[in-house]
Amino acid sequence: MAELPGAFWGGWVLVLTVGSLVGLGWVVFSVYFGSGRDEHEASPVWDGNLQEGAHPAPLWWFWLLFGSLVISVVYLMLYPGLGALGGAFEWSQGGELRERQERYATEFGPTRRLVAEAELETLRADPGLMASAQRVYDRNCATCHGYDARGQADLFPDLRDAEWQWGGDPAQIEQSIRHGRQAVMVGWLPVVGEETVDALTDYVLALADGAPAEHPGAQPYTLYCSACHGPDGAGNPLLGASNLLDDISLYGNSAEAIRHSIAVGREGEMPAFADRLDDTQIRLLVAWLTAR
Amino acid sequence: MNAVDLHRRLERNSGWLIFGILFVSAIGGLVQVLPSVLDDSLATPAADAKPYGPVELTGRDIYIRESCGVCHSQQVRPLLAEVRRYGPFSKAGEFAFDRPFLWGSKRTGPDLHRIGGRYSDVWHRLHLLDPRAVVPDSIMPAYPWLGERAADAEGAIQAKMRALRRLGHPYTDAEIDAAPAALEGLTEVDALVAYLQGLGTPGGDAR
Repeated sequence: MAELPGAFWGGWVLVLTVGSLVGLGWVVFSVYFGSGRDEHEASPVWDGNLQEGAHPAPLWWFWLLFGSLVISVVYLMLYPGLGALGGAFEWSQGGELRERQERYATEFGPTRRLVAEAELETLRADPGLMASAQRVYDRNCATCHGYDARGQADLFPDLRDAEWQWGGDPAQIEQSIRHGRQAVMVGWLPVVGEETVDALTDYVLALADGAPAEHPGAQPYTLYCSACHGPDGAGNPLLGASNLLDDISLYGNSAEAIRHSIAVGREGEMPAFADRLDDTQIRLLVAWLTAR
Repeated sequence: MNAVDLHRRLERNSGWLIFGILFVSAIGGLVQVLPSVLDDSLATPAADAKPYGPVELTGRDIYIRESCGVCHSQQVRPLLAEVRRYGPFSKAGEFAFDRPFLWGSKRTGPDLHRIGGRYSDVWHRLHLLDPRAVVPDSIMPAYPWLGERAADAEGAIQAKMRALRRLGHPYTDAEIDAAPAALEGLTEVDALVAYLQGLGTPGGDAR
């Protein structure tokens, strides 16, 4: 992407700009100092004292115009403005941004690197850093997970409880933030039919209190569900398969919500933040999220 | 010959006076506007810019209809704070297929040029239909009707794509033929979410 116009249009801009500046200078100078400025035809007199005349504008007005011309010329010599000529300062918007980024990196880089490589314990012990972490959270995570990190809308997980769908180790949490997660629970209604879905719903609800082995849902559970959720229903964080033994259910604890999950399925998506947050911000978030 | 004489001559002939006024007022446009319209380097699509598909195009028209651009801009300026908050700054070539561009000039809400992929589809859907459902202190209006109306209620998608093709968007006949099928069964909110998720493929340098 060219920041400055090409050769032809560069020349076009140059000629027009310089030409109009010269023309303007000529007009100003000849109005004030050229011959003929005092010549004026005799004008009729109206109302006894009104007569057309040719008084020049006051001289300070000339200096104002002259000053503006000088400033324009100096500006065009220093900054881009004359077509393809970049000006003596070689200034550009992109260049200015890069310079500021470098200054930012020099000023804050070492501190930020320290944070990015620090032990989580050390970060958690620093109230100032935890306040920063909370700001990073509020800015990037709260829109879905809520300002209190309690999750919301029966769609976005609670980050304050002990249950982590994709694992609660710092490394697993970092992985979730950095690369996102794509959870897929397929809908089983077409495969197993209404009756079995009802039985499974009842079984999953009963699992927390230890469902009896002769429960009508036990056999289809082993057949269809245990591959991901485990034979005992403890879940599998590697697959994002939730733990069915506790009373925490992302999409709602009601029989209706659980039946919907089994019959129609669910799709959960955590966007990847590797391109949006830097190592320091991610490290702070992990420390903040694992603080109890 | 000096400027006073010239002026005297001009002001006595209305034809020359009109020409003189037009010429002087045109100089700014000739310098600023004409090269940016005619210089190809500004109109060349960025490497990853591609014409909107039928769903995104419909979503874009809904974005325009609901005046999203009144509160949301679509231009990340080359300033440190904006680049750190939103991502890489916007380049001219990224808007080659935006007719009209939706840069906007006011940010009551955040800039949206790099919004794509930041939130999940389901978040966008909830948030558009009722922003308070996910952001309790949001001041954005709710747009519940988007979830009720069919995306292609007007049936105008093929005509739109043909009109854009005439302006240089490279749609093939096959793409235009397939367009109504792509919108089949979608509501307006689906189309708008698809449009928003397509925004913001960063065009080049990283932050």
